[in-house]
Amino acid sequence: MTTFHFSSLTKQISHSLIAFVLLTMSSTNLANELETLTMADGTDVDIRLFSSEGDTLLLGFACDAGAGIHEEETAASLSEDGVEVWMPDMLSSYMLPKIKSSVKQIPTEDVVHLIETAIKRTGKKIYLIASGPDTNLLLRGIREWESRHPGDPGLAGAILMFPRLNKTAPEPGQKPLYTDAVGTTKLPLLLLEGERTPNRWGIKTLAAALHQGGSPVFTKLIPDVRGYFFKRDNANEPEETVTQQLPGLIKASLFYLKRASQ
Amino acid sequence: MKYVSKFLALLIFSSTMAIAVADLKPYTGKLTPALQLPDLKGKTHNLQDYKNQVVLVQFWATYCPPCIKEMPSMNRLMQKMGDTPFTILAINMGETQNEVEQFVTKVKPEFTILMDESGESINQWQVFAAPSSFIIGADGKVHYTLYGGTEWDSDEIVSTLKKLAPANKE
Repeated sequence: MTTFHFSSLTKQISHSLIAFVLLTMSSTNLANELETLTMADGTDVDIRLFSSEGDTLLLGFACDAGAGIHEEETAASLSEDGVEVWMPDMLSSYMLPKIKSSVKQIPTEDVVHLIETAIKRTGKKIYLIASGPDTNLLLRGIREWESRHPGDPGLAGAILMFPRLNKTAPEPGQKPLYTDAVGTTKLPLLLLEGERTPNRWGIKTLAAALHQGGSPVFTKLIPDVRGYFFKRDNANEPEETVTQQLPGLIKASLFYLKRASQ
Repeated sequence: MKYVSKFLALLIFSSTMAIAVADLKPYTGKLTPALQLPDLKGKTHNLQDYKNQVVLVQFWATYCPPCIKEMPSMNRLMQKMGDTPFTILAINMGETQNEVEQFVTKVKPEFTILMDESGESINQWQVFAAPSSFIIGADGKVHYTLYGGTEWDSDEIVSTLKKLAPANKE
């Protein structure tokens, strides 16, 4: 049996090495590539790419720069599991503030350009994902893409997390008015909504409106969580648990979308 | 010149009044409300039992920050309505009895809380957000609605609600 006795110097070196390794680990960007794409109007958009060997690519419109650690963790986990993820940073590219209304200023053309680029470069099935009011940007893009590429199976579906698609503030006792892009696409759509948000009560009405354009629409209420649960500083236990399971939730959503597009 | 400035002052005053009561939106829909739900003690409340009263029907949830913020002003509204026949029926949107009881202990609403765990009334009343409020006059019709929180005990709202009371009680 051999016993090792650390000298003071050896101890110091080993402590420094441990500190270096920890520092390197914590500062490592989870994205494995960063690429810049030039849009039609000349704007450069940075995209974080989480590459994967699988045949599926998830294009996430993380318009708040997508820098949230949970979004990165989720993207990294999905890429390890065969789903390639692209996260374009639209807000920073247009120097827009991180507020809900900013998404209105992002050109529809950019979404189309990103979908076309993703299909052309990878040949993979493209799925889109966005949350909150950003889901309207997705629908705008899908509508335009479908009009330019009728019947093209390259774009296969979209996940709308906590979709906020009201055109005006909801009026009690009146059916909601949705944005112009609602009900204008044929793409399979899957809606995820938190059970602990009043918007859950409108999910059936919204699904029916989205279906008007021909889209197969699936809805899933996530028990015990509020909207934007994965972005909350005050997440409760169910919200933390579901956040950790987000890659699985997205993979299950992709499964249903794939089945609908076959 | 004097008349012009008087006219202007009147115009400014009247537009200020319009803004102040603008919280409540005149209802133009075709809803004919029915409501039959249990309170926290299990007693069933039927909206028809409150005929000839002004009723504030509100849909709320414990996880809705504006709902929580406006509740003290709803307590004060009850007092400010004085002798006017007036009731608040605050319908919880689909939460459990336990969740609502914990909330009530903390926030202490002094009005009737109704439970709708299945969400049936929420669908019937076409409620898609919280808080969503309906003002029902003594005639049983919806006169105003409001989406979002407000200070319910403002003079303008109290005055508007009193006008919906039975003629002899106004």
